[in-house]
Amino acid sequence: MNDFVYKWRNPIFGSVSVVLFFLGWEALLTWAIPLNPFIMSKPSLIFEGLWLEMQSGQLWSDLLISGQPFIFGFGAAIVVGIFVGTMMGWRARVGYALDPLLTALYASPLVAIAPLVIIFFGVGVSGKAILIFVLCVFPFVFNTYAGVKSVDRLLVNVVRSLGGNERDIYLKVIVPSVLPFIIAGARYAIGRALVGILVGEFFAATAGIGYRIAWFSDMFELSRMFGYILVMMVVAVLFTEGIRWAERAAFPWRVGM
Amino acid sequence: MNDTTSTAVSPVPASAAPVRDEGLGEITRRTFWEANERHALGIGFIVFVLLLWEVIPHILTLSRGMDLFFTTPTQVAMTLYNMFASGEIWPAFKFSAVAFSVGLGLSIVAALPLGVIIGRSHTMNAMLDPFITAFNATPRLVFLPIILVWFGIGMWSVVVVVFIGAVFPLLINTYAGVRNADRLLINVVRSFGASEWQINKLVILPNSMPFIIAGLRLAIGRAILGIVVAEFFGGSSEGIGVMMNDAAGKFQVDIVFAGLVIFMALSLVMVGGVKVLEARLSRWRPENVKSF
Repeated sequence: MNDFVYKWRNPIFGSVSVVLFFLGWEALLTWAIPLNPFIMSKPSLIFEGLWLEMQSGQLWSDLLISGQPFIFGFGAAIVVGIFVGTMMGWRARVGYALDPLLTALYASPLVAIAPLVIIFFGVGVSGKAILIFVLCVFPFVFNTYAGVKSVDRLLVNVVRSLGGNERDIYLKVIVPSVLPFIIAGARYAIGRALVGILVGEFFAATAGIGYRIAWFSDMFELSRMFGYILVMMVVAVLFTEGIRWAERAAFPWRVGM
Repeated sequence: MNDTTSTAVSPVPASAAPVRDEGLGEITRRTFWEANERHALGIGFIVFVLLLWEVIPHILTLSRGMDLFFTTPTQVAMTLYNMFASGEIWPAFKFSAVAFSVGLGLSIVAALPLGVIIGRSHTMNAMLDPFITAFNATPRLVFLPIILVWFGIGMWSVVVVVFIGAVFPLLINTYAGVRNADRLLINVVRSFGASEWQINKLVILPNSMPFIIAGLRLAIGRAILGIVVAEFFGGSSEGIGVMMNDAAGKFQVDIVFAGLVIFMALSLVMVGGVKVLEARLSRWRPENVKSF
């Protein structure tokens, strides 16, 4: 029993503190402070509102609508980012040429061009997808670049000496050593993609998670707004922790990169 | 992946060791181009992109609609120069700079002690971990509407957005640094009768400094992002972000790019400053730990 508690201490303490947090929040606003629905809400109302949104199907359709530009933008960022990163790592001169420009762009808050992107490409899927692409492509470029540069030449030579062909070199050396870098890049990119969705939908949209959050706040429907914020948090945690889990499962030798 | 990757690590054959003089001779014999190729290509490419951007309107005739949305680097530079020369930028600049500094300062003040506490206590760590993970994974932008409800339109909303953006990288890195501190050193200091406070001051903080600085570097980026988004979405009525948003609404594309250049320059300067600080603070550190 004691061993069990020791092994699972972190999850137990964690879930206890989350439950306590929500109970405390509920209790505080039920008994201690009178609830002013224009500035605060409480968990019972939030979950009730969320339940209603789920039943009416509104939540699912919003998730679908936000998901579309996410898939297009993120997919394009993966393809272009890996291609550019590979070129930069493979040909040293391409790396020299692109590195300073891309570093400067990566360091600057590119969200700032959101109004221009929306004006150029419209308020539909394409504007948001391009915004997400612009935000997400850099982690993929730089991580692929670093990954390709760090491929061990010795391993390439060993495979070649033992009679491996080009395909063996790619599948047995290059892909396994670059992939962890790309996955780590995906973890950063996911966060930036979520920012892109929110920025795009705060600016101009007629549906979607970000749009609902802004709209409920304008309507002072704080319970529903908190419900959608919770959904956004759950989605974000699922994505990042999912990738982290996949990293640990697939590349156990490089945990903590 | 053939023979062109000069950057790839290749093991030096054992026979190469005695002929070290020859290697040194090689270095001095490198031509000017070989020595500066890297920078020449990097700067050259930036210049090339700017030139290309500049000549596009001269070689292509843009449709009347596109014309409205188009600007050239020279126009952006002129706008930038005029804004600084006439001084009209300064009130907005000051507003954004104050919000940035206050928000970042508050996040440092909050993150360092909390990071040390959760780094040293397993219980606190286990209890706070779900919240830190959840808030760190979620884009803080999602809280902007509720922050506006609570703090109103003005400086404080922007400060809060900057704060919640910057506090998590600092907190997580402080925690990682504290956990990384050498147990042996802590035990030695404790054996000599140091108090908890002295342990923190003598062992924990110096040990976690590289981590904290790395966190600061991330936090600066997040803080600038916070300024931009908070000012874009009605967090305030002044500031550089507001100026850019207004300009975008009026199709003054050059002002939008001028603002972007200002933010870009600020983040590059500050990240550079942090790197200098990092090098200074870890001068005493052995080389292998320095490159965190």
